[in-house]
Amino acid sequence: MMASTKYNIDPKLDLMLERVIDVPRELVWKAWTTPEYVVKWFTPAPWQTVDCKIDLRPGGLFYTVMRSPEGEDYPNTGCFLEIVENEKLVWTDALEGGYRPVDKVGHCIDTFMTAILLLEPHGSGTKYTAIALHPTEAGRKQHEEMGFHDGWGTALDQLVEFVKTL
Amino acid sequence: MPNNNMHLDRVFHALSDPTRRAVLARLGSGPAAVSELARPFDMALPSFTQHLGVLEECGLVSSEKKGRVRTYRIVRGPLEEAGTWIERQRALWEKRLDQLDNFLYELKEKE
Repeated sequence: MMASTKYNIDPKLDLMLERVIDVPRELVWKAWTTPEYVVKWFTPAPWQTVDCKIDLRPGGLFYTVMRSPEGEDYPNTGCFLEIVENEKLVWTDALEGGYRPVDKVGHCIDTFMTAILLLEPHGSGTKYTAIALHPTEAGRKQHEEMGFHDGWGTALDQLVEFVKTL
Repeated sequence: MPNNNMHLDRVFHALSDPTRRAVLARLGSGPAAVSELARPFDMALPSFTQHLGVLEECGLVSSEKKGRVRTYRIVRGPLEEAGTWIERQRALWEKRLDQLDNFLYELKEKE
């Protein structure tokens, strides 16, 4: 079954990105599940990931700290939900380690997400699919109106930075 | 009117191409002539000017001709518009996965 159908992707709320890369699946898996590797790529420049903890089991903690170009740190907690080595990794930032719901007070995040990473062999390389599921738009708007902002600056800054760093 | 979804589609279509993003990145640091913009790309000039056309049609860049030299500059408005929440998330993930792919190729070389 197509991943978009299987996971009920709503293009207004959710993201699905597919990439094919000429790198073995085991290496892609390692890059996603080894903290020393995750810090190298996880946060879009000019932000950086300065800390990462991974407890690779369902209910295990996925913790990252992002640092803004101005030097401010933004911790993110998440919880792994499903782990199939070299095939599938599912986590959410709505929970922290041990499946405990996150207390969002004091967190700089605008909405929760569940992320699904799927890996398939593709010739000598790998096809990987990254899916980010978000809550309904109503919920998200409410978050924004309540003053929850993500740590990425204004839309303009984000896009201009994005374009500049390519 | 620029403020509608079809226009946003065109902006994102324009941003979906690596050559056009590289041109925008270059123009981010100041206006440039076509010849200068084209120099880093191994591409026939007509193909390259098509890319410039796509960027200009959706208003991401503007151009001005003086004598035989056409100079391009970035226009900030459409970028601002393109910043809806979901597109910010997409930009974040695209960039994240670009960094992942680069890292993976480095890793593969080492191992």
